[in-house]
Amino acid sequence: MTETNIYDAAVDQSAKDAYFTASQGQLIWTRFKKQKAAMVGAWVLVILILSGLFAPFLTPYDPTIAGRDKDYLNGAPTIPQFCDDNGCSLRPFVYAIERERSAATNFRWVTTVNTEERRYVQFFVEGSEYKLFFITFNTHLFGIENGYVHLFGTDSTGKDIFSRTFHAINTSLAVGTIGVFIAFVLALVIGGISGFYGGWVDSFIQMVTDAVRTIPAIPLFMALAAFIPDTWSAEERFFFISIILGFIGWPTLARRVRTHLLTERNQEYVLAAQLCGASSGHVIRKHLLPSFTSYIIVDLVISFPYMVLSETALSFIGLGLKDPVNSLGVMLQNVTSADVLLNYQWYFIPVIFFIILVMAFVFVGDGLRDAADPYGDTKK
Amino acid sequence: MVQFLRFAGIRAALGFLTLCLVSFIVFSLMELVPGDCAERYLAFKNSQGAQISIADIEAERVRLGLDRPFFERWGKWIFNAFQGEFGDSCILRLNINQLLGQKVWLSIGICLGSLFLAYAIAIPVGIVAATSRNPFLNNSLRLVSYLGLALPNFLLALMIMLFSTVMFGNSLTGLFSPEYRDAPWDAAKIKDFLGHVWLPVFILGWSATAFAIQTVRALMSDEISKLYVTAASARGVSGRRLLMRYPARHALSPIINSLGFDLNRIFNELPIVALILTLTEAGSLLIEALARSNDQQLAGAIIFFLTGSIVAINFVTDIALAIFDPRIRRSILG
Repeated sequence: MTETNIYDAAVDQSAKDAYFTASQGQLIWTRFKKQKAAMVGAWVLVILILSGLFAPFLTPYDPTIAGRDKDYLNGAPTIPQFCDDNGCSLRPFVYAIERERSAATNFRWVTTVNTEERRYVQFFVEGSEYKLFFITFNTHLFGIENGYVHLFGTDSTGKDIFSRTFHAINTSLAVGTIGVFIAFVLALVIGGISGFYGGWVDSFIQMVTDAVRTIPAIPLFMALAAFIPDTWSAEERFFFISIILGFIGWPTLARRVRTHLLTERNQEYVLAAQLCGASSGHVIRKHLLPSFTSYIIVDLVISFPYMVLSETALSFIGLGLKDPVNSLGVMLQNVTSADVLLNYQWYFIPVIFFIILVMAFVFVGDGLRDAADPYGDTKK
Repeated sequence: MVQFLRFAGIRAALGFLTLCLVSFIVFSLMELVPGDCAERYLAFKNSQGAQISIADIEAERVRLGLDRPFFERWGKWIFNAFQGEFGDSCILRLNINQLLGQKVWLSIGICLGSLFLAYAIAIPVGIVAATSRNPFLNNSLRLVSYLGLALPNFLLALMIMLFSTVMFGNSLTGLFSPEYRDAPWDAAKIKDFLGHVWLPVFILGWSATAFAIQTVRALMSDEISKLYVTAASARGVSGRRLLMRYPARHALSPIINSLGFDLNRIFNELPIVALILTLTEAGSLLIEALARSNDQQLAGAIIFFLTGSIVAINFVTDIALAIFDPRIRRSILG
């Protein structure tokens, strides 16, 4: 046997050792890393989550009515550029925007772009105050000194669509997280009781679950959301909508928990633990729960985009969130008018971000599902 | 035959039970909502200038039977509902049957149409995707089904509206041209209707199709690798005959089974798509009932209709499975 062969064998042996001694988490991570689409999705997701969290810093203006640009309503995107007819500059700039009303414009407000006056984009500018992790800041990543820069244009009240989009990502993630959490707790309790006790308790709970699953959830919860009093504040609506979404999501998850518990509780290892004198609580905590945590996590990730989309749908028809909370649904509320469709297409820019967000979740969820399946490797 | 009838009877009874349970859930949720019909009606009268006292509200409550215990009212409601009688709308003061009329059947028809379209596309495409080794085809199908998830129907509807407005200057909305809206049904109106209805049917079927392709593909690839398929091909069956006779038939039953839930998903999208495309069927009536007037009676009736048609579909698919799947047929007939 030559030197290299021994070396190879040693590497092989240590790889095998690593494989056999790896924890479940490590194994899942190894399998997950192998999937290109899921990894790309994971990176995109991390970037979007971070940009949602740091939205107030990354965006130049307050997304509410306080940060509006009252001289630039329904304004087209102003894209920073490096060159124009007057030559190039290293620092990107936008043109000044002037709004006037005089005899020359027939006494109507007319917005004109002054291509002679450049306004240079500055970084780390001071602007409106915001709270991030309970500390107040007023530095924004970029901005211009005089006037405004609107990467995605403005809406009918002059609010910056770029700022609103990033804050909307934040809102959607928050609504989704609360909704998924509520659905998860409900599913765990209901599915857990049903699966652990079995028998007539199980039959009864399954009958109710099936009945709930038959009701089309969105129309029903639209009915409930419609009765939110108008006097509720934005925060109250926000929590109510999250709770409603949680109630939409639980039946599917509860069924999975129940099926899994029903098969697992008759396995030999549970019997062995019981014969060793372990209490029910110990069996559930130490043996049953770890046996399906990975499935639960996968299910949660997969159900996340549905929460986000349901929120969007409810807000879109005006039954969900409302101004000043920003979410994709809120931003899309008035886009079906012919005026917007014909003239202000930049209203639709946020949609692209949301499709990317949902796609990223779907890819990561799919990748996790494959990675969490311990027999995934042996099948192929 | 007797056993088959017994099976059908049990299924029908189960469906009936589900419907009762559902109506109970819907009814109690509607009860949770603050304010009742009497208050709304009298608040409306008040806004018209009439002086309303607490006693008037109480009297109206007695007249509408709202003072009866909860279970009695639920029992009465469900009893009437099964006879197709939903009472009067709270705000519009019109009979609900008259309000809903053909709208319910139109919207259920549109939804069934989308369901049919979804499977008419998904079954052949899914089978091809499962059997083909062409990576380009597989990847593009994967992309389409992911898009079906990520671009929900109402966003698709918005995008189509945006596109058609910019390109053709026509937003393709509505179910009828203005001149046919109130006309009686005749050949010209049906033609006009068909010219408009394809878009909502396509949009509603969009994500259902994406889901269905994934399901068909997964089921087919599971079945194809099984031993009985190898055995059949060893006996010399090949090509389309092999696929259709063995794995496709096996894969069919779970698909038939899931039809009810697909319909549920389509119903979920219906109101919002209806709002965007300004269709005048039950979906948008529901939004109107809710957004403008907080009309519990009407909302309850519509949800009852939608759920009822899902229960009906589930019943039909159960019976169809019992007839077409020899394994289930055997277990029933003994």
